[in-house]
Amino acid sequence: MSCFKIKEIYDYIEGSLSPERREELERHLGVCPRCRRAVEDRKLIAGAASSLPPLAVPDDFTDRVMALITPVKVKHPAWLIILASASSLLALTAMVMIASGKSALGTISGASHSFWEYVKSAAVLTAKVATLLTLAGKTVRPLLEAVYKGLSVLTAFIHPWLQVLILVLAMGFVVSLFFGMRKKFSLGD
Amino acid sequence: MNEEQDQVLVRRTLRGDKKAFEMIVQKYQRPLLSYVGRMVGDRELALDFTQDVFVRAYASLRSYEPQYKFSTWLFKIASNLVIDHWRKKRLPTFSLSESLGEDGDCLTLDVPDDEPAVARQFELADLRQRIETALEKLPGPLRELFVWRHVNELSYEEMAEIKGLPLGTIKNRVFQAKEMVRRILREMS
Repeated sequence: MSCFKIKEIYDYIEGSLSPERREELERHLGVCPRCRRAVEDRKLIAGAASSLPPLAVPDDFTDRVMALITPVKVKHPAWLIILASASSLLALTAMVMIASGKSALGTISGASHSFWEYVKSAAVLTAKVATLLTLAGKTVRPLLEAVYKGLSVLTAFIHPWLQVLILVLAMGFVVSLFFGMRKKFSLGD
Repeated sequence: MNEEQDQVLVRRTLRGDKKAFEMIVQKYQRPLLSYVGRMVGDRELALDFTQDVFVRAYASLRSYEPQYKFSTWLFKIASNLVIDHWRKKRLPTFSLSESLGEDGDCLTLDVPDDEPAVARQFELADLRQRIETALEKLPGPLRELFVWRHVNELSYEEMAEIKGLPLGTIKNRVFQAKEMVRRILREMS
């Protein structure tokens, strides 16, 4: 039997030779010292190469990498942003209504009054909103920033569907708070 | 390397969880450094490059396609960095799909010859050291495949995916790399 090709000898060492060829080769190795030496030599080199020691990583390597990376921008779906914006708008409207002493229905019915009356009440309302927003901007801004950061971290861990559930519950809470406050201050129509 | 675990860590990182990426760094820093270190031959440079691999991976994590193995994707980033380095340093490099010419294509034996075995004369530690020296003399693209195969234990399929080459081409080049290492060892003995 003629000698096996070196490519097949490598396949044999790596265990990827077909069972039939493997049997043939093993039979051949019994009678061919040249092929036996070739297999043994390549096996030894492959074994030594596969046990080359890994290069040592410094203890602070991970920290060094982490210090270099900038946070990934968390991508929220568009509908979630719209929902969040709508709930924020609702909450803001509720606050303005309570502060201005007007109910939602009162404001709507005001539209049917004379144009001048509407402009007057709108101007008063705008001035109050502006004052309120300026005040809120100065005092509540750091708090809102802290809340936003906290929410960003939380939303990274909470599943999107759970986030939706929380938002819906929050909106329900704001709406019930609005109607509750309206009742308390007798602001209803 | 547990692929499912990698996919979970990638998804968590994309949701803004930096701890998950830290786990990725811890998992892959050693195999990547072991590869890059043997490619560039300078420990400090290898540490910088490995660090850069993670920074680039983090920045382009959104472009990672989960149907491919994450480890393969990381090694591809590392390989591109190494090739850029070779080009900047004007180190001899070639495409694995090109012919190696007479020096390369004719260096491998078809069947075993009568020459004495190379590996048997050395102790394992000595043989390992000699393989490291032989690797330094191996052309970069062949060294890369040899290290991937033996040190990183990548499959031929993974190497073919990283290099974007047919499986047969990769197998042939790994065979050439192994035989070239053996020839260098013989010359060294």
